[in-house]
Amino acid sequence: MAVKVLIVEDNPVARSFLCRVVRESFSDVIAITESGDLESARKQINLTGGAQGMHGVDPFKLLLVDLELPDGNGMELLAELAHYPATKIVTTLYSDDDHLFPALQCGADGYLLKEDRFEVLVEELQKIVRGQPPLSPAIARRLLTHFRPAGSNDAAPSGSSFSSAGAFQSSRPVPIEKPLDHERLTPRESEVLTYLSKGFTIKEIASLMGIKWFTVNDHIKSIYKKLNVSSRAEAAVLASKQGLV
Amino acid sequence: MTARDSPYRVDPARMGQLPQTTAVDSSFDRGVTTRPVTPRAQPIRRLPVRRRDLLLIALVGCLGLMALMRLLAMQPYIDATWRADGDSAVELVSSPLPALQGLGGGHLERIAGRDGQAIDVDASLLHRSTRWSVDDAQRRQQQQLQQGLAAMLTQGEVTLHFAGGRQVLLEPSQRGIAGLGAFIWLLAAAALVLGLVTAAVLRAHPRWRNVPYAVISLFQGLNLLAIGIETLPGLGLPEAYARHGGVARSAFDLCSAAAMVHLSTLQPLRLPAGRWIAAATWSGCVALLVLVAGQALPQSWWWIQSGMLGCGVATLLLMSWSYRLEPNPFALLMRRLAAAATTTLLLLSAAVAVASWHDGIAQGDASYSTVIWYLFLSTLILLLPMFSRAQPLMRELAMLAGTSTVATSLDLLFVATFALSSFASLSLSVFFALAVYAGTRRWLLQPMRGQHVPGADRMFERLYRVLREVEARPRDSAELLTKLLRDLFEPLQVQTLDRPSTRSRVLGDGSALLVPLPTIDADQERSIDGSIVLRFAEGGKRMFSRDDARLTDRVVEQLRRAVAYDKAVERGRSEERARIAQDLHDDIGARLLTLMYKAQTPEMEDYIRHTLKDLKTLTRGLATSDQRLSHATAEWKTDIAQRLGAAQIELSWTFTFDRDIVLGVVQWSALTRVLRELVSNAIQHSCATHLEITAALEGRRLRLTLADDGIGRNPQDWSHGLGLGGVRKRVKLLGGEVQWRENGRAGIVCTVLVPDLNPRP
Repeated sequence: MAVKVLIVEDNPVARSFLCRVVRESFSDVIAITESGDLESARKQINLTGGAQGMHGVDPFKLLLVDLELPDGNGMELLAELAHYPATKIVTTLYSDDDHLFPALQCGADGYLLKEDRFEVLVEELQKIVRGQPPLSPAIARRLLTHFRPAGSNDAAPSGSSFSSAGAFQSSRPVPIEKPLDHERLTPRESEVLTYLSKGFTIKEIASLMGIKWFTVNDHIKSIYKKLNVSSRAEAAVLASKQGLV
Repeated sequence: MTARDSPYRVDPARMGQLPQTTAVDSSFDRGVTTRPVTPRAQPIRRLPVRRRDLLLIALVGCLGLMALMRLLAMQPYIDATWRADGDSAVELVSSPLPALQGLGGGHLERIAGRDGQAIDVDASLLHRSTRWSVDDAQRRQQQQLQQGLAAMLTQGEVTLHFAGGRQVLLEPSQRGIAGLGAFIWLLAAAALVLGLVTAAVLRAHPRWRNVPYAVISLFQGLNLLAIGIETLPGLGLPEAYARHGGVARSAFDLCSAAAMVHLSTLQPLRLPAGRWIAAATWSGCVALLVLVAGQALPQSWWWIQSGMLGCGVATLLLMSWSYRLEPNPFALLMRRLAAAATTTLLLLSAAVAVASWHDGIAQGDASYSTVIWYLFLSTLILLLPMFSRAQPLMRELAMLAGTSTVATSLDLLFVATFALSSFASLSLSVFFALAVYAGTRRWLLQPMRGQHVPGADRMFERLYRVLREVEARPRDSAELLTKLLRDLFEPLQVQTLDRPSTRSRVLGDGSALLVPLPTIDADQERSIDGSIVLRFAEGGKRMFSRDDARLTDRVVEQLRRAVAYDKAVERGRSEERARIAQDLHDDIGARLLTLMYKAQTPEMEDYIRHTLKDLKTLTRGLATSDQRLSHATAEWKTDIAQRLGAAQIELSWTFTFDRDIVLGVVQWSALTRVLRELVSNAIQHSCATHLEITAALEGRRLRLTLADDGIGRNPQDWSHGLGLGGVRKRVKLLGGEVQWRENGRAGIVCTVLVPDLNPRP
């Protein structure tokens, strides 16, 4: 059976380019569904069992969502599909953490920068699907503050000399008064994030920490997961407070 | 920043200090700011209580005065107006009594009582103030006449013997409230006001050092009442007053003078040997008084005047000493007021003495001038504790009283010494007095105004300069405000208090000014509460006034507004920039992306990709303000590592900096694009396998080298296309230079040297 892929992208040229990237990335038979806006994307998803993907009607395995769409932001779709069992990837021109971080919080499993070269995109896409999502220094910094709310006296991970909370004036750390276990990073994860925020590559981090590169990757994946879980928990708390649930 | 080391914490120790520092607030105390605040400061008294107490005191004072008036109203008197005719004769002017009708113009020669006792009348009968009689014999005569008259009046009927043998038998009537005349009421009111101000001062600051002030005003109040009694219309004074009035008034005068000296040893600065000076003055004055009362001293008037003048001079000297010890403008002011009082007293004494030597001068003139002098003195005493606060009207009133004293004294002098006609002497003396007024006014008020008040233009210039600086560095606003205030007032001391204040206030009677220190910090919502205390304006030559407080309030307000405005402008500007960046990114970026996907050749595609990245750098520079070097470095490294990885070039990256500076937008975007361009060159042209990037920031000097092991040679022969030209241009923008040379056996080294990487433009 063909692997079903949904590409949500308003620019037709970019869409066909992304189709090429997807086809190049996987050896399986690919069935690509394209949509140019949020509304048609929602329709496509409903055809395959709705946002929860519960009816077993062969859901999409891979979603590529552009952030800037004519009828809204791709993040809305990501938020709706929080429990949709697919690999969700943000494709965007924005590489700054202000745009990407909220997308990751909405449940994206990775991001692709549209201006990258074809080969780079193919490689990145494969990595994400394999569970090696990218993490830029800016996002790593952002994650560090996210998981270490201002005012808590968590032991700073080693070498975080200039990633102290005071250094982040643009970021708005989400205030969590009592971080639960799933909202906390392990010391190893913090260390990985700290190295990433300083611009070290995964290989370099692996050698610095004396671990295998795929262990570094596991840490990154786990951080992604925690980010999703913690943001979902936040959303739930927020919803119950507002009487929505 | 954690709560523990934040500057906003509430420090229990500091809280404990609050009651002490609030004493600085006190309205009348001029001592507290001139010495360290002691732990045994008085608890704060709230205004309503103070007001109620004052009301009570006023009520008691009024009742006392009413009782006195009642007593006076019960005294017997002869209701008639008299006039001194020449030196000795007493002429009846008019009288409502039926018995005296038709006797107008008649000269009174003798008054006989019921028991046959009689007194021979001369002009000194009309001269009731024995205090200001120069000659001993004359004074004794006056006193005997008044005493005799009072005794006869209390016994009942008196017989008035007029020239020409006419006799009139009169039954003395009680004065009644209506017979008191208007003048005594005015003087009683003045005495009451004096008493109330003193009570307010003592109530606000029950301290020993304020007691001499209370003594002065008490005796001056009594003096005013005594003058009031002496001006009662008709013939006849209360017997007790006739007997003791002169000595009592001498006592009031001498005690006031001694208390003045005592006060000047305590205020504004407690003088080192003040206790001994005060004791000596007091004992001297009391000894003098005992001698005068016992009539043991010949020429006693001269002794009393010398005593008073001596005390005045002593006050002057003490104030000069005090000012030398500590340049408190209050000492300067007190010295000038004392000088004014002493000079007028000297002039008055001289005038009265000269007038007494010359026969034929109406005694009334002399008594008027003394009354005016006492009024002048009373206004000065009233003004003393609140000179910096007093309304200009009050000051002008004091000036007017002083000028009048000078005018009447001069009038007396001119009439006596130059035998001028009364009109000529009056106009001349008024002229002189006005001249003195014009000259003295400036001199006396100088401690209030200061010598060199900055002109409006200079003041504006200073204010403007500080405003600009505050806009540039809002964090230093407190420091800048202090500097501005220093410039404006040239105080001797500037001190910062921890306690907040809402408005500017004059403290310690003009020696200090308390200014709230506002937070003009753009980033801080909470205000850092604190105050500045400026002491001794213009090096102690000037007192702070309410106008100064108002001015500083306005200055502070303007500073705050300027910063708020600046903040709003900056916010608007960054919003606008963000909008432009968003538009550029969305529109041009999307088109470039489309173009890139449709590119015919890989070169074209790379070129567009490069352009797109430059656009992103540009829009990001527009949208975000400053970047930390460490953050920028991390991003550069990630980006370069990824690109080189794709091009199969090994990267070695070393970036060292001794300090994590904040890069301005210009620096950040220039460095980003220079690095990108140089790395692009290496990827496209060098065919290198290894690229070594080394960067070091030492202080503000940045050195960046890219060394490859590729095929590039002879950099001098390179045609400087768009890429290298762009690099040169950007490095030049940073104020540095770039050069390429051959790298050993293979490759090129590019060195970028920026001698001063200014952290902020």
